[in-house]
Amino acid sequence: MSVLNVAEKGLSYLRACLDLYSENCAFLVLFFVALLFLCVKGSKEEKRIFLPSAIVLLLTVYNPVTPVLLMRFFDVNSEYYRFFWITPVAILVPYVAVRLIVMQHSTAAMSLMALALILLFILSGNFLYANGYQAAENVYKMPPELMEVSALIHEDADAEYPKAFLEYEYNMQMRQYDPKILLTVDREEYLYATSSDYTEEMLADPDHPQYRLLGALIKYQEVDPDAFLEALEMTHTEYVVLSKANPMRAFLKQTGLKKIGETKEREIYKYDLKEPYTFELVDYSVVY
Amino acid sequence: MQILTIMLGVIVNIVIYLSFGSLLTRKKGGELQLGMSLVVGFFAYYSLFFVCCIPVMKMFRPLSLLTSIWVPVVAVIVLAALLLHGRAIGKAVVRAVEEIRRHPVLTLLLVLIVALQIVIVTTSYNFTLDASYYVAGVATNVETNMINVYDPFTGAWQDHFEMRYFFATYPVSDAVVCQLTGIPALIQTKSIMATVVILLTNLVYFMIAKLLFEGRNRESVWMLSFICLMNLLFITIYTPSLFLFTRTYEGKAIVGNLSVMTILYFFILLVKEKKPRMYWLLLFLVCFGSTTVSSTANMLIPAEVSMLFVPDIVFHKRFKELIPYAVCIMPGIILALAFMAYVKGYFVFYTYPVW
Repeated sequence: MSVLNVAEKGLSYLRACLDLYSENCAFLVLFFVALLFLCVKGSKEEKRIFLPSAIVLLLTVYNPVTPVLLMRFFDVNSEYYRFFWITPVAILVPYVAVRLIVMQHSTAAMSLMALALILLFILSGNFLYANGYQAAENVYKMPPELMEVSALIHEDADAEYPKAFLEYEYNMQMRQYDPKILLTVDREEYLYATSSDYTEEMLADPDHPQYRLLGALIKYQEVDPDAFLEALEMTHTEYVVLSKANPMRAFLKQTGLKKIGETKEREIYKYDLKEPYTFELVDYSVVY
Repeated sequence: MQILTIMLGVIVNIVIYLSFGSLLTRKKGGELQLGMSLVVGFFAYYSLFFVCCIPVMKMFRPLSLLTSIWVPVVAVIVLAALLLHGRAIGKAVVRAVEEIRRHPVLTLLLVLIVALQIVIVTTSYNFTLDASYYVAGVATNVETNMINVYDPFTGAWQDHFEMRYFFATYPVSDAVVCQLTGIPALIQTKSIMATVVILLTNLVYFMIAKLLFEGRNRESVWMLSFICLMNLLFITIYTPSLFLFTRTYEGKAIVGNLSVMTILYFFILLVKEKKPRMYWLLLFLVCFGSTTVSSTANMLIPAEVSMLFVPDIVFHKRFKELIPYAVCIMPGIILALAFMAYVKGYFVFYTYPVW
């Protein structure tokens, strides 16, 4: 929940956090309705199991003061919502639903109640596949083209561990499938690039040459071709993989990179390092 | 072939967890509780793995050394369980089969509910950012034959261990399995362990339902159906239901679902039955095991244990139980404090010898 900040929101942080957590799902509301049901109809034991802990939850996790207090000791901005996970919604709501069904005296009434509850559940939530189900195309659950890209790079590379610049999704997925491919850009740098532009100072930063690569190839910002090549050299990046929809392919050709292969939707370009670089694993055997 | 590998992987995991659990849950001459043994066995497995893993990792020794330590440990425990409790396990399985025969329709419904969830987690494609750490971390450890020394995101060498993940050794055990069997990290994490987590989480749901409905199977299976429906519908990017179905391979999905539910199960058990000492011991293993699965447990588990047990202990004036309660929350608190000390710069674990 990186969009929320306790310092900015203060006591309204909790409300904003809950809004994001639940969106338009009403299961937290159903949880408190289920608690009310137990207050009225619950046995002594049911009350003992669910009510005191719910009161403690209300006084602590669901208290607007708590995130503000916690913030003095820990950074809870992005992770406070995980405290909501200890609310036993997944147990109490279904439990009370079944209790309501078995309270009915005939099979017809039980069926009607079950149907009404199923409908209530459906109306109270967002279906997992509301935006469609996407089946994995192979047992690795990776795009087949990514696997092709990996094979093409290794086919071309002399090094055991070639280094590549990839677009966002492939950058996040490649090393799950192929840890022999080293990546130029790490996750945090990419997350920055997906949300912000690079300033002139950043593009000229000698300590972070990867900003130039991201600026040019992902943000489509103007970068001097020589400075771009220098960034490839400094980061030891031999391969650049771009989708055919990326308008910067022409820029790559202009800077002199060679296309060494392509898949249906991607092209792989090679930069010949002026100073060949070989990545080697650290030899820890010398330590012992 | 790969489906067979996945099925075999799941079965082997279950046998191992059952072995660990049987040694902890069954008293001599008593009956074995299959469900409880499996779930406790899961957490006991990762607790013991943590004990073996941390020194090897801290001393930057190779993953293969950890594998060569861990395999005999597991083999001895499985053998001991078979020797000591083999007959009890057999009897428990026979009892379970008889139960299934008595309730074929309910069993079918139960199997369908769980199978649906397994199909969801094993066949769907999900792009999640965190996999670039967790799954790539397993693949990187196997490739480099080291433990968390190389950055999973880029493959670069790191001069110090990332303490946020140092004590969460769950993914390292995946790396051990991958190294031992040659199973690719993606299959181990996103199919084998995802299936195991779905099975265990539903098992705990069912155990809770059986407790709440005093052992009545019909109501318990209905409740499981409603839980499944709710999990399919309580979907935002922050809910444990989403983590369960789309990020099952992550430690925090296990903590947010399996750990949280197992602790609730033990709370209900402690309310209903009078065997506190043994259950507190098992609960401690669940709490400790959870902290080795994900650092999310460091804040979540003490919070949940406190929320459930403190009011019950106070209202019923069972103040002696404050001691086992404190022991249960201790692993999470210690590791949270350790992380805070690291963030504040009090210590750092380098990945090379510092003399």
